[in-house]
Amino acid sequence: MTSSESAYIEAAEISGGHDGQAELVVTLRFADGGRTRVVLNTEAGMRLMRNCGVDHAAALAGHPWQKILEEEPCSI
Amino acid sequence: MFDLIIRGGTVIDGTGKKRFRADVGISGGRIAEVGTITADAKQVIDASGRIVAPGFIDPHTHFDVQLLWDGQARPSLEHGITTVVPGNCSLSLAPLKAADRSRLVGMFQQIEEMPPAAFAGAFEWTWESFAGYRDALAKSLAVNVAPLVGHSVIRLWVMGDAAQQRAATADEIAAMQNLLRECLDAGAVGLSTSFVDVDEHLHPVPSRYATNEELDALSAVLGEYGRLLQVVPEFYATDITLARVDQLAELSLKYDITTTFSPLFDSRATPDNVPRVMARVEEQFARGARVWPQVQTRPIDISFSFEHPSLFFARFPTWYRVMRLPRAERIDALRNPATAEKLINETGADGGKAFLGGLTVRGGEGAPKELEGRTLGDIANERGASAARTLIDLSLEHDLKVPFLAANLGHEASDRIGPLLAHPNVHIGASDGGAHIQSFSTYGDTGYLLGHYVRDTHHLTLEAAIKKITSDTAAIWNLADRGTIAAGMAADVVVFDAERIDRGREHVVFDMPGDGMRYVRDSVGVDAVVVNGKLAHRQGEYTAERAGEICRLGSTR
Repeated sequence: MTSSESAYIEAAEISGGHDGQAELVVTLRFADGGRTRVVLNTEAGMRLMRNCGVDHAAALAGHPWQKILEEEPCSI
Repeated sequence: MFDLIIRGGTVIDGTGKKRFRADVGISGGRIAEVGTITADAKQVIDASGRIVAPGFIDPHTHFDVQLLWDGQARPSLEHGITTVVPGNCSLSLAPLKAADRSRLVGMFQQIEEMPPAAFAGAFEWTWESFAGYRDALAKSLAVNVAPLVGHSVIRLWVMGDAAQQRAATADEIAAMQNLLRECLDAGAVGLSTSFVDVDEHLHPVPSRYATNEELDALSAVLGEYGRLLQVVPEFYATDITLARVDQLAELSLKYDITTTFSPLFDSRATPDNVPRVMARVEEQFARGARVWPQVQTRPIDISFSFEHPSLFFARFPTWYRVMRLPRAERIDALRNPATAEKLINETGADGGKAFLGGLTVRGGEGAPKELEGRTLGDIANERGASAARTLIDLSLEHDLKVPFLAANLGHEASDRIGPLLAHPNVHIGASDGGAHIQSFSTYGDTGYLLGHYVRDTHHLTLEAAIKKITSDTAAIWNLADRGTIAAGMAADVVVFDAERIDRGREHVVFDMPGDGMRYVRDSVGVDAVVVNGKLAHRQGEYTAERAGEICRLGSTR
């Protein structure tokens, strides 16, 4: 198992993005204890929410980060 | 007899030196004398009670197209911007074969929100080479231009379709090097590249297919000329940005070139981003590398409407679900009393007053002009309804087309941004002037710097702030004769009221080709803007002067 596969979403919140759109800031926790943040734009953020089956950002907590890799395009 | 004298003002000369009282005499487009001048002039500006400073330089713009029909780069000029750098983020209008024009138009539309009409009939596309573009541009400039050449178009010229498919061969890299030399010979101030941007089909732009070897080879050419490399790093991920800082530092040291990356943002959601990046930047400067992060002054505002889904409502399940519905179902849901009640309740016991009341109604196509600039809370009070109810009603009344603005959602904490802007390794820029035109205004950042961070919060002295946006910028970009008020320098001068200078309220205008819309801000407190000795803007009015030039660069190696 790679560290990417074992990473999970610790928290997610909404922020303002460079392009004037809202963004999703996701905090990731890795199996080795490491933590990082990734900023997702509208398309990626909505894809992650859809892949995780959630309808609000806070509900992303606890889901595997690997969900971001599911390929099906998100219609936004 | 001088051509122009700016008399009786307080000079802040751009070097960081303390202000002093002096007249500024101008002849032949150059500053001829700074001091007490008794001689006459053909034209005199009374600058009593005003600051007289070098014209401001905006190092990150996308005015490439606009400059072809608007050599004044409106409204940047009226804010005191006398020199702009277009061609950022790997995109420039040259070199470009005629057959590739539509491809580049798509990229500009996607990345810069430049409407198609801007390319169709607003100018005559006469060039393919960089020199040809430079000549077309130079015909009617009121501002000075220091154009970058884009890595994506260089790649497109050499590789055609393969530019967005694969790595380049050794022969192709050599051809790109020769093409870059041709562009630098024609006056390009450097090369821009991007690790982030996508085209209108969401495919990575050509520069993103480059290997490290390709970027290294192009940087070697920049080293031959002593020119600059501008980069858009993966700013959404701090760890990758750190790796890019290191990569740029190695290129800077290896080829003795200046590099700059943009943007670098602060956000409460990513509080460790700026401290970590700046720590790495400081380390690399200490090694002798030149890796300048560009930091914008303005806070980040976001906008949304019910017309397109937005993550703004990803806090609330019902709002998010409704936004994701197909358009007709979305309207039905908003009209449904039970759904509307759920939506309103979800925003809190105050009916969204705290969360939504501060939203501003923006202008735009289909938006109610009479409500432009008013807050949702204000409108809700007038209607005797909750903020959430009012947001729903306004959207339904105007076919979902009402844009709302949520201000200060990022890069807004003055106690963090102020010291960052004052940091000696920070390059103030990243305005994106001329881009994102249908999303927000990219004008007035210098007014915001001098109004907010100098006058209100005192994070920078006026002398320090002006140095940052004049002589520091000129030095970074190797602009030989600009950025200071001194005899012999190009006469780019801005006269302003230090007690009033600011950015005006954002508003919508329909002045793009084909009556296309964009958001702009007017200047506040700027009395006069002089470009190469000619009065380009005075007391709120643009003049007919066209004295702008393609910038002369410092000596090459």
